[in-house]
Amino acid sequence: MDKNFAGDSNPRPKWRKVAYGGMQIGYDDNYTDESFLEEMVMNANVVRRNLLKVMKDSVSISQYLCIVALVVLVWVHTLESSLDENSLLVLDLSLLASGFLILLLTEEKMLSLSLLLRYLLNISFFTTGLYILAPIYQTLTRSISSDSIWAVTVSLLLLHLFLHDYSGSTIKAPGALKHPNLTSCISLNASVVASVFVASRLPSRLHVFAVMLFSLQVFLFAPLVTYCIKKFSFGLHLLFSFALMGLTLYSVYALHKLFFLVFLFLVLLVNVVCPYWLIKMQEYKFEINGPWDEAKLCFDITD
Amino acid sequence: MAEPPKLRVLMVSDFFFPNFGGVENHIYYLSQCLLKLGHKVVVMTHAYGNRSGVRYMTGGLKVYYVPWRPFVMQTTFPTVYGTLPIVRTILRREKITVVHGHQAFSTLCHEALMHARTMGYKVVFTDHSLYGFADVGSIHMNKVLQFSLADIDQAICVSHTSKENTVLRSGLSPAKVFMIPNAVDTAMFKPASVRPSTDVITIVVISRLVYRKGADLLVEVIPKVCRLYPNVRFVVGGDGPKHVRLEEMREKHSLQDRVEMLGAVPHSRVRSVLITGHVFLNSSLTEAFCIAILEAASCGLLTVSTRVGGVPEVLPDDMVVLAEPDPDDMVRAIEKAISILPSINPEEMHNRMKKLYSWQDVAKRTEIVYDRALKCSNRNLLERLSRYLSCGAWAGKLFCMVMIVDYLLWRLLQLLQPDEDIEEAPDIFLHHHGEKIN
Repeated sequence: MDKNFAGDSNPRPKWRKVAYGGMQIGYDDNYTDESFLEEMVMNANVVRRNLLKVMKDSVSISQYLCIVALVVLVWVHTLESSLDENSLLVLDLSLLASGFLILLLTEEKMLSLSLLLRYLLNISFFTTGLYILAPIYQTLTRSISSDSIWAVTVSLLLLHLFLHDYSGSTIKAPGALKHPNLTSCISLNASVVASVFVASRLPSRLHVFAVMLFSLQVFLFAPLVTYCIKKFSFGLHLLFSFALMGLTLYSVYALHKLFFLVFLFLVLLVNVVCPYWLIKMQEYKFEINGPWDEAKLCFDITD
Repeated sequence: MAEPPKLRVLMVSDFFFPNFGGVENHIYYLSQCLLKLGHKVVVMTHAYGNRSGVRYMTGGLKVYYVPWRPFVMQTTFPTVYGTLPIVRTILRREKITVVHGHQAFSTLCHEALMHARTMGYKVVFTDHSLYGFADVGSIHMNKVLQFSLADIDQAICVSHTSKENTVLRSGLSPAKVFMIPNAVDTAMFKPASVRPSTDVITIVVISRLVYRKGADLLVEVIPKVCRLYPNVRFVVGGDGPKHVRLEEMREKHSLQDRVEMLGAVPHSRVRSVLITGHVFLNSSLTEAFCIAILEAASCGLLTVSTRVGGVPEVLPDDMVVLAEPDPDDMVRAIEKAISILPSINPEEMHNRMKKLYSWQDVAKRTEIVYDRALKCSNRNLLERLSRYLSCGAWAGKLFCMVMIVDYLLWRLLQLLQPDEDIEEAPDIFLHHHGEKIN
C-alpha cells in the first residue's frame, strides 16, 4: 500500500474488503484494490478437446446417416419395383438373425435361455401383429396425393435425424441406466410414422408387410446393435462404420450421381469439417466463476 | 427564503412503493436523506394498479407513477422509444440535473437512462443484484447492461463483490464504479426492551421461500438442529413456492410445536417477529448485499448466514457466523452461534450498528458520486457513438442505430413541442433546509 505523506505523515490504514463503517479513511469509494478480481476463476470446467478424438466420435453420426440412407435406398428400390417382396423378406430375416447374433456375441452378461425365449416370443408377436395390420397400412393414404406423402416423409426423416440420440440408444439395452429423453422419443416416433407413410404407397399386402418390418427393424434396433458393437470394441465399431459407409456410397452412386456427390459432401462435412470447426471455436471459450456465483446445492431435492 | 436546491435528482426504477423490497427501500431512504441534505429528489416509476399519476410522499418526495402497465415481474413492457416523451417532460418540468437509475432488471430504468443520455443529462446507475454469465437470460441481460453502461457517467454497487460482478458483466472501468452499501433504519429496528429468555433459543428465518433464498437448505437443516438441541425452536416468516416442502418437513419429523410457520410477514411487522428471537438464520444461495441481516443485527440478533456473494462484507466477524451452503456446515455454524449466544448483548449490538450503517452516510457518499458525475465532460453525439461501437461486432452497430434513432426522435419532439413550452413545476419545500446535517 502506498503511504500518504501529506504534512502530518499519518499512513492511511490498510484497505479492507468490507462494507460497514462508512467510507474508509484515506480511500475513495471508487478505489480499486490490487485484490480486485483476485478470486475470479477462468475456464475451470472447460474440457479441452482433441481433434482426433472428436473425429472418431463423429464416426457414430456418419454411421447412422449411412444406415438411414440405406433404408431410404431400399424404399426407393421397392417403390420402383426393382426389389420384389420375396427378396425383401429374405433381407428382413437375415437382418434379424445377424442383429440377434451380434447382440449375443457382444453382450457381456450371458443371455439365459429363458431370456432368449422371451425375446423370440416378443419378436413373433410383433411380426404377427404387423402382418395382421398390413392391409390397414396399405389403404391408409390412398386419398392423399403422392407429393404430400413425399414431402411429409422427407421432413419427418429430417426431424428424426436432427433429434436422434447419437450417443446411446432409445430402446434400452438390457441393464442400461440412462432413461430415454423426450427428443429421442420424438425422433423415434417420427421415423416410424415416415415408414408407415412410405409403406402405404406400395401395391400389395406382402410388400407393405415386408417394408414395414424392414423399416421398423432398422429404426428400432439398429441404434441398439451399433451401441452394443461400440461398447464391445471401438476398433470393430470403426471397421463396421467404414464398411457401412463404403456400401452406402457404392449404392447411392449406382442410383444417381448427384445424390452421391451430396452424400459424400455430407459425410465429409460431418467427419472432417465440423470437428475442425469445433476445435477452432474452443479458443473463444471464456467461462467466468467467482464469489458472485449462485451456490450449487450439493444434495438432490427429492420432492 | 430557502435557497434553491443544489442537486436535482430523478430516481428511476420499476421497483418502488407500494411494492416492498430491497431496491424500493433503498430508493426511499436515500431520497429522504437527500431531501434533508437540501437537494430535490423526484422518483419515476410505473403505475401500480390504480395508483397512477403524481403522488407526494413524506418530506415532499414527488413520485410520478407513469401509466405504463407492468408486464412480467413488475417490469414495464420494453418499448425502447415509447418512454421518450414522458421522460423528456419530467426532466424539463422538474429541471433535473442528474438521473439515477436503479436495478439492472428494470426496463424503465434502462430506457430512461438511454433517453437522458440522448438529451445530454448526467446519468448514474446503481446495481443491486448479482447475475451469472452462463444461462440464456443472464447473457441477454448482460448485453442490455453493457449497452446502458457504455456511456454512463458513474456507477454505484452495493458491495465489493457486486462491483467485481458489474465490472465483468458490463466492461466498465473499475474507477468509474463506486462502492456504496445499503443501510438500515436503526430507529425502526430496535431490540426488545426485555430480552427473551434463553431457556428456549429461538431461531428466526424471514425470507421469501424460493429456491434462490435457500429454502431447500432450510428443509435439511431444521430437522438436524431440532434433533441435536431439544431447547431450540424455529420461527419461519415468509411465503413462496417452497412453503409446501417446509410443511412436509414439519409433518415428517413431527416438529409442529417446534417450527412455527407465520406465512407472509408485512414489512411493518418484521421487527416484532425479529425481537422474539435470539438468532437470525439466512440461507440464501446468492446475495449482493442482504439487508435482512442488517435488520436482524440492529434488533440485537446474532446472525448465521451462508457465505455467498457480498454477505461476508456486510457485518463484522463477531456479529455473524458464516457457513458454506451445505447443511452440515450450517448446523455446525448454528452450534457455534448457540455457544457464543450468552456473550451477546443486544443493546450493545444495536448501538454498534448505529455507528456502522446509516442512511445519512449513504446519502453523503452518493452526493459525492453526483458531484463527480456533474463534473464529467459533455460529449456530443458522435463521440458517444464511438463508445457504443465498442460493445461488440454486431451489437455495437445495432446500439449505434438505436441511439441515432433516439436522437432523431428527440429532435422531432423538440420541433413539435419546444423546450420552452414545457411548463416548469415550482419547487415546494416541506421542511426547513436551513438545518444542514454535517
